Amino acid sequence: MKDSTARNSLTYTGIVLALLFCLLPFIYMAAVSFSTRADFLTVETPFTFTLDNFRAVLTDTSLHFTAYFRNSMLISLVSAAICVAIASLAAYAITRLEFPGRMLLLFFALAVSMFPQIGIVGYLYKFMASVGWVNTPQALILPYIAWILPLSLWILVSYFSQIPRELDKAAFMDGCTYRQTLIRVILPVAAPGVFSVFLLSFIFAFNEFMFALMLTTNYKARTIPVGIALFQGLHGQTPWGNIMAASVITTLPVVILTLIFQRRIIGGLTSGALKG
Amino acid sequence: MTGKKILVCLLLGVVLAAISSGCGRRRTPAVTFVVGGAPAEIDFWQNLVDEFRQNTGIQIELLRQPTDTNQRRQGLVTSLRARETDPDVFLMDIAWLAQFAASGWLEPLDEHVTAAGFDTATFFPGVVDLADRFEGKLVALPVYVDGGLLYYRKDLLEKYAFQPPQTWQELVNQSKSIQADMRKSDSAFNGFVWQGAQYEGLICNWLEFTSSNGGGFAVSDGRITLDSSANVAATQFMSDLIHTYKISPENTYTEMKEEEVRRHFQEGHALFERNWPYAWSLHQADDSPVNGKTAIAPLPHFEGGRSVSTMGGWHIGLSQYSDRKQEAFEFVKFVLSYDTQKRLALTLGWNPGRRDVYNDSELLAEMPHFAALKSVFENLQPRPLLPYYTLISDAIQPSINSVLAGTLSAEEALAQAQRKAQQIMDQYEKQ
Amino acid sequence: MKSNNPLRQADPLTSQLRAAALFIAPLLLLIGLFILIPVIGTIIGSLFRDVAFLPRRFVGLANYGRLFSDDRFWQAVRFTLLFIAISVPLEIVLGLALALLMDADTPVRGLLRACVLIPWAIPAAISGRTWELIYNYSYGLANAIARWLHVSSDPVNWLGTSFGAFSAVIVADVWKTTPFVAIILLAGLQAIPKELYQQARVDRAGLFTAFWSITLPLSRPVVVVALLFRTIDGLRIFDLVYVLTHGGPGGSTTSVSLYAYEYFLTSDFGYGSAISIVLFLMALALSLVYVKVGRFGPQAQ
Repeated sequence: MKDSTARNSLTYTGIVLALLFCLLPFIYMAAVSFSTRADFLTVETPFTFTLDNFRAVLTDTSLHFTAYFRNSMLISLVSAAICVAIASLAAYAITRLEFPGRMLLLFFALAVSMFPQIGIVGYLYKFMASVGWVNTPQALILPYIAWILPLSLWILVSYFSQIPRELDKAAFMDGCTYRQTLIRVILPVAAPGVFSVFLLSFIFAFNEFMFALMLTTNYKARTIPVGIALFQGLHGQTPWGNIMAASVITTLPVVILTLIFQRRIIGGLTSGALKG
Repeated sequence: MTGKKILVCLLLGVVLAAISSGCGRRRTPAVTFVVGGAPAEIDFWQNLVDEFRQNTGIQIELLRQPTDTNQRRQGLVTSLRARETDPDVFLMDIAWLAQFAASGWLEPLDEHVTAAGFDTATFFPGVVDLADRFEGKLVALPVYVDGGLLYYRKDLLEKYAFQPPQTWQELVNQSKSIQADMRKSDSAFNGFVWQGAQYEGLICNWLEFTSSNGGGFAVSDGRITLDSSANVAATQFMSDLIHTYKISPENTYTEMKEEEVRRHFQEGHALFERNWPYAWSLHQADDSPVNGKTAIAPLPHFEGGRSVSTMGGWHIGLSQYSDRKQEAFEFVKFVLSYDTQKRLALTLGWNPGRRDVYNDSELLAEMPHFAALKSVFENLQPRPLLPYYTLISDAIQPSINSVLAGTLSAEEALAQAQRKAQQIMDQYEKQ
Repeated sequence: MKSNNPLRQADPLTSQLRAAALFIAPLLLLIGLFILIPVIGTIIGSLFRDVAFLPRRFVGLANYGRLFSDDRFWQAVRFTLLFIAISVPLEIVLGLALALLMDADTPVRGLLRACVLIPWAIPAAISGRTWELIYNYSYGLANAIARWLHVSSDPVNWLGTSFGAFSAVIVADVWKTTPFVAIILLAGLQAIPKELYQQARVDRAGLFTAFWSITLPLSRPVVVVALLFRTIDGLRIFDLVYVLTHGGPGGSTTSVSLYAYEYFLTSDFGYGSAISIVLFLMALALSLVYVKVGRFGPQAQ
């Protein structure tokens, strides 16, 4: 009896601490975004509620926030979609087709994901510069797809390998080719897993920073992470209200997505981990 | 539609979008002017751009950058190295102007200047000849100029019947006596605050101390000399200010940058301040505790030396790869016109690159200290105008900072700095 | 994972090979073009003096030689290694605690899991700026809390001292990546058969004994995986130090990635490439160490 109450109180204290730990910065972020002044925690200045920061961020074109948002959404959606498509093809081949070097391919993908980004971005910049693709969406989309493929591949392989072969058998008996089997049979069954991978790919592409920093220079092409990182003021006059408002607007969809799809996301990540 | 066909279409779509958005150089319909800064500054530039568009009908667009100088440089380097047609015209920090010039990214302006009948003699010749010429060609012009100044509490000096110090020793003596008195009521009072934290500003301060002793950066023929006896003495003096005379606070070498120094002085806790001209209007603001009690003077020097201020400021240039050089130069002329330069001073408190503006009666009525500034700006000392200067600065900052921290002697530190600077020079001098 | 499709097994190998080639081609193409080729380009580039204001010249291993006497490079290496030495164990310990909480059968389990995920899901740039504000000297949350707890009379200069900046980076990174570690560990925890815990309860073993003799040993493989991933990831840290501290003060929180970036910025591509390759070699060395240690672990058991 004592054991279980001890365990219960420990658990619930732990949960409260965990929630506080995870959410406090967000609460602070939101508070600052709704405040007229960022320094409302000092004794002298009180907290005054305002929507001005949000208004400024959403309507003031010189802040370029809507441009960043549009770019980020476009690039992330396209990258995630293409990444999932390509990873599905390869995962199908690895789990269902006989060819030499199957396992090698998987480990090759794993090895590639260990490369430090900084070792790629320099030359990537030179390449993009030479074909005139600096400040274009494809300059980011293509490297993003390549960068996210390894993880997507691992996760899809683990999902696909759990799908029984009987389904393939049935499809072949109906006279399906390999790709028809993939599209009509495997993908629908693995839909939850595919969706997880799409979500994860989207999150990775959306949050990417280094490539976006080095391959774009103006707001027409820049993404949100870079835009928010470079939001600055002069000599101590950083516009925190605006920055936090932009952050809230950016993180809100992510937070909602996470709350709704936490099971999918965790499922995706854990199957990738179990394979490792 | 099989899955593979969909995939091929998707990829093709990406490629087509790529090609249509322009493989190769894109011509943009407008002149692109790139500048960064605080919101107030950007507003100023935006108004200027709009006015220019209205007056001349030339299509021009402002592309806004962050404030931090390194981030502004990064944006420009990325575009210029990729030979993009944008930006067409931009501002450069004097610290990395040489890098841009030496990399061949700047359009030579001599022809444009003569064709337009534009008179470059109206600018501070010291600045133009030293900073804006590369291999004899004019590649930039100063939009505004900066130089280190000595701010002081004139009320306190009057009270003790002191004259503004000419030599460093005078400054020390005055500080010690006034500080001893002021400490009775204000324990945070310091005689002299200046920038000693480990960043570029430290080198600016160091250059002023050492040059006023006849030292400084000695660069010639692929050799750089930093450990001269004049430099060692001056650097030791900087350390003494903190540890021996104790008129500068302990956090000088850990935290003191422009804003920290300005705040310390503005809150009434300092007698002397070394800072850039920007601090003046802030000190004179209505809610400033030192409003009306501040005055400026040239920096002191050592016996037998002369007063030196480090040259700062931002310059305007044209991109070598611009597709609209003619129109862009029209904008350059507009920015550098008498009227615009005067507005720069009145609105933002900046120090124009044009000398004739400093004689303007309206300006002097608003900002009388500009008369004193003009003489300071005739004698500015630049940091070495090498394309790799920022690398040298980054390499020697820790050494000089260690002297201030008391962990290295001035001789050791400067010998170390000398070695590193020479290494970098050997690396990057033409071979 | 062998294909046991009886009909397709009869398929000539060539037809399967052809299909396989088509299916994995896009993946190989993209990874080849946008990861492998740039890496090779970087390796080759590191052998040149490649500066915008000088003619490009082959210099062999000179860039690497330069690294040896480059103090700021070693400062970056020290920072990076110290960073992973402290942040990774912290993340594992906290992650395990978090995973246990997420595994426990409570009514708020779903909510907890979702909330825990949020720090991981947001861009590092945004979390970096939020922490930058939290650590603000004059009016940040951290100093407000310190004042409220009467920890110190003066505000702490977090980002202006090397120790303060270092701890700020650690806290911000732990906050952001512990969720990821927790999720991986959760997978491991879920794989532990519940019967073992029931048996422990029957044997009247206490909470801690159960944890020590069941949870820890059986989650060991997952912990090793998490350790490996986090170490490799930690080595390449860039986003956080760029946004939160800009590598300062005085370069004390400059990671190796950020140091290489600074050279790409001043247009010395050759030197920046050399630094990047060294970072890659460090990651490689560490993975090999893990593989070796991992091998001996189960054997010892």
